[in-house]
Amino acid sequence: MRDSGRLGPLLVAPALLMVLALFVYPLGYSLITAFEAKSGGFTLGNFVKAFEFYSIDIGFTLVIIGLSTLAIAVASIAIGGYLVLGENPRAVALLRWLYRWPLFIPFVVAAQCMRSFLAKNGLMNNTFVALGILEVDQTTGFLDWRGIVITFVWKQTPFVALLVAGAMASLDRSTIEAARNLGASRLRILVEILVPQVMPTLVVGLILSFVTMMSVLSVPLMISGESPTMMTVDMAFRINNYGDYGTANALGFISYLLTAACAWVYLKRAVRQT
Amino acid sequence: MKRSLVLATLAMALAAAPAAAQKTTLNVVTAGDQNMVDYVKDYLAPRFEQTNPNATVKAVGTGPGDAGSQKIAEKLQAQKANAAWDVDVAVIHQKMAGDLVREGLLAPYVRDVATGRLVTSEASKNALGTNVAGYVIPMFQSQTAIAWNPALVKSPPKSYDELAAWAKANPRKFGYNGIKGGMSGVAFVVGWVYANTPDAERLMKGPYDASTKANWDGALGKLKEFNRNVVITPGNAGTLDMLNRGEIAMGPVWVDMFYTWMADGKLPPSMRLQLIGPGMPGQPMYYVIPAKAANMAAAKKFVEMATSPEIQAEGIVKKFNWYPGIDAQHVKAKLDDKTWNRLFVDVTPQELAAKGKTFPIKQYFDDILESYERKVLN
Amino acid sequence: MIWVGRGIALGLLAFIVLGPLANLVLWAAAEQWYFPHKLPVAYGAKFWQQVFKPRGDALVSLMTSIWIALATVAACLALAIPAGYALARLKLPWRTAILLAFLMPQAFPSLAVYINVARIFYDFKLNGTMLGVILVHTVHGLVFAVWITAAAFAAVDRDLELAARNLGGSALRTFLTVSLPLAAPGIMASAIFVFLESLDEFTGTFFVGVPDVITLPLLMFTASIAGNYQIAAITALVLLVPSVLFMLFIERFLKADVLSKIGA
Repeated sequence: MRDSGRLGPLLVAPALLMVLALFVYPLGYSLITAFEAKSGGFTLGNFVKAFEFYSIDIGFTLVIIGLSTLAIAVASIAIGGYLVLGENPRAVALLRWLYRWPLFIPFVVAAQCMRSFLAKNGLMNNTFVALGILEVDQTTGFLDWRGIVITFVWKQTPFVALLVAGAMASLDRSTIEAARNLGASRLRILVEILVPQVMPTLVVGLILSFVTMMSVLSVPLMISGESPTMMTVDMAFRINNYGDYGTANALGFISYLLTAACAWVYLKRAVRQT
Repeated sequence: MKRSLVLATLAMALAAAPAAAQKTTLNVVTAGDQNMVDYVKDYLAPRFEQTNPNATVKAVGTGPGDAGSQKIAEKLQAQKANAAWDVDVAVIHQKMAGDLVREGLLAPYVRDVATGRLVTSEASKNALGTNVAGYVIPMFQSQTAIAWNPALVKSPPKSYDELAAWAKANPRKFGYNGIKGGMSGVAFVVGWVYANTPDAERLMKGPYDASTKANWDGALGKLKEFNRNVVITPGNAGTLDMLNRGEIAMGPVWVDMFYTWMADGKLPPSMRLQLIGPGMPGQPMYYVIPAKAANMAAAKKFVEMATSPEIQAEGIVKKFNWYPGIDAQHVKAKLDDKTWNRLFVDVTPQELAAKGKTFPIKQYFDDILESYERKVLN
Repeated sequence: MIWVGRGIALGLLAFIVLGPLANLVLWAAAEQWYFPHKLPVAYGAKFWQQVFKPRGDALVSLMTSIWIALATVAACLALAIPAGYALARLKLPWRTAILLAFLMPQAFPSLAVYINVARIFYDFKLNGTMLGVILVHTVHGLVFAVWITAAAFAAVDRDLELAARNLGGSALRTFLTVSLPLAAPGIMASAIFVFLESLDEFTGTFFVGVPDVITLPLLMFTASIAGNYQIAAITALVLLVPSVLFMLFIERFLKADVLSKIGA
């Protein structure tokens, strides 16, 4: 094939330019502005202010997203595992139909659902009271950081589960059959045979989810009243109420650092494969 | 066949062109909650279009609180160099009005408008310490108060101190939205500072002294303590919502939003209001016209209509439960006693006069908000 | 006996998954609902009338959202099909660096980027315009589009392409008649992803579009924050219709082998 080597770059160029101009450039702008004082010139003042005002929120962002990622991992392994190892075809079909519903529901809508579902007298608690599981004054509202975790897990699990289930389905069944014949329990097969083999896909899904959750604004804005909340809310607050780009970008820089570790792991994997 | 079709289309286009050229679109941009946008869109716009058939009113809302006004300021600042701006009438909060007048972005339109002489209140001349006379007409005057549920509260507290004690005895039964997401929470915090510092008058009138904020540590410490016993709601509407669902028993609300929600069936009719001492702030929102508005004449007519006694009586007071923006006597004359007194069921005129405060001057206002973030939230 | 355990587990999962959605449907049908009632006090269509009234915002926002989404899909495909083909089949210098560049929007939390894009757009008078929002959505969608199209082209059997070339077809002809049709399901999948991402996009539009360009998610957000749960629920349902429709058909387009190649 006469591939002159010039066609490739030409075809990639427009898309690449878009990403460079509308993502990489503003990203660089953001990094630089984080260190810029109002009067110009280099300063660490924005970071000092960010920590003075929002150190609790920074910590809680990590807690919220870390917990969510963990829960998503467990849930998607469980779902993927049952889809592959489940014995009852009706139950498997039902699960397959059921778990995908939140996948195409945008974060805004999920937040709206949860806003009244998780409230102190919302549908969830009302159902528990109606079933006799709780008394009326025992109910608690989850409209704080826990509600954010619940919403994230609810929305992101189907995505990761889809990836994991797909990966598990394309594995060689002979090892599973062999283990079953030797009498291994399904849980053991899941943990010792399936999970290690789909680990790359699982990690990819979790990292994508991690980054996605770090970028979401609608969910913490709609579910959690105030502190502690996620950094995204504080960034939006700084911009919308004060036009304070310095502090907002300092917070952005911190969020990049937090995600940098994850991104580094992913990039290593991606480069190794190509 | 084809030719006549082309000619017909051309003829229609030519006929439409002058008509299209005459129709002006008046851009009204308003900060504040949805009820503000609804007021412009559902009430003012049809009336204006009726008397001015060549005009269409386009209403845009920028959101509640300072963020909404900030958005409008940004729009004007971004277009500063243009010959004509795309905002004809704006409705903004006091803090931003002061800034915009100082930056020269607003037109001194009040002298050109017939209703200008109907407004003599302090609020129409002074916006948190900045002289804005001639640039603004108040759209309404609003007031915050504590809404309480008689089914859950036997006797409401009468002062901030009593409230703090009540919250301690009844944890998580009081809610407010902090300083983000709505001004009712901001008003509550300001009222708290007024109640817990000796120089509240100075905060409202000035002069500004940067060292004053050091005196607030005690007040803010108590507020941080207080916050442990309360629920933080997502905003003005968030507080009303939680009151509605019985999740909190008391919370600061805007009096007008309170009555509007009740009329819409979103709040039980048994709920009551209490204006606690030493006082809680209220604020006007201002009609302003940007200096280079594209449709200056139409904009002035719009504001003139909106501030006329009839519209203020019917729209502001009767329909939307606000206190009027122009002087009360002009508006009261257009209403029957029953409707007028509806505004004062739980908060009497005497209480309003004694305990209705203004927000602090701008620098102190900023200091209070910043200190809250630093000392109470972190 | 096992079915009891299974039943409880599935029932719990159904409650978790469908409960919040049922809540949405209830609020969409409710006219009055306050404490201490566990279910709406009065049902009715009053708020549906309010949402879809002639002067209403919902129809305008819906049209805005759909136009923006369609334009975004067109832009994304125009950019991603050549790029995906090049990444899958052609020689590229600095292939790793290019892959990294396409990775970046997914590797960095995008909120701070959106804030600065809005600021940059101010200078170019793009803030608050449809074009500005379309640009933001396109960059956001390019990530998926490029990845999935590259995976789709990579999954096409090379032998088929070679056969076409050996029979005398030019590179372009082979691309149009062999590679593209075979990769079409994957490309359709990426188009659907991009459409849905654009329809549901909130954060970027929140900074770049407000207050002039109001998409349906923004309208829903405003209604929700204002405590207008009925209107928020109704607009949410309207927003869900395309998503749910596509979900029911997605199985046809997303084969496991394409999925497993995402991010490869």
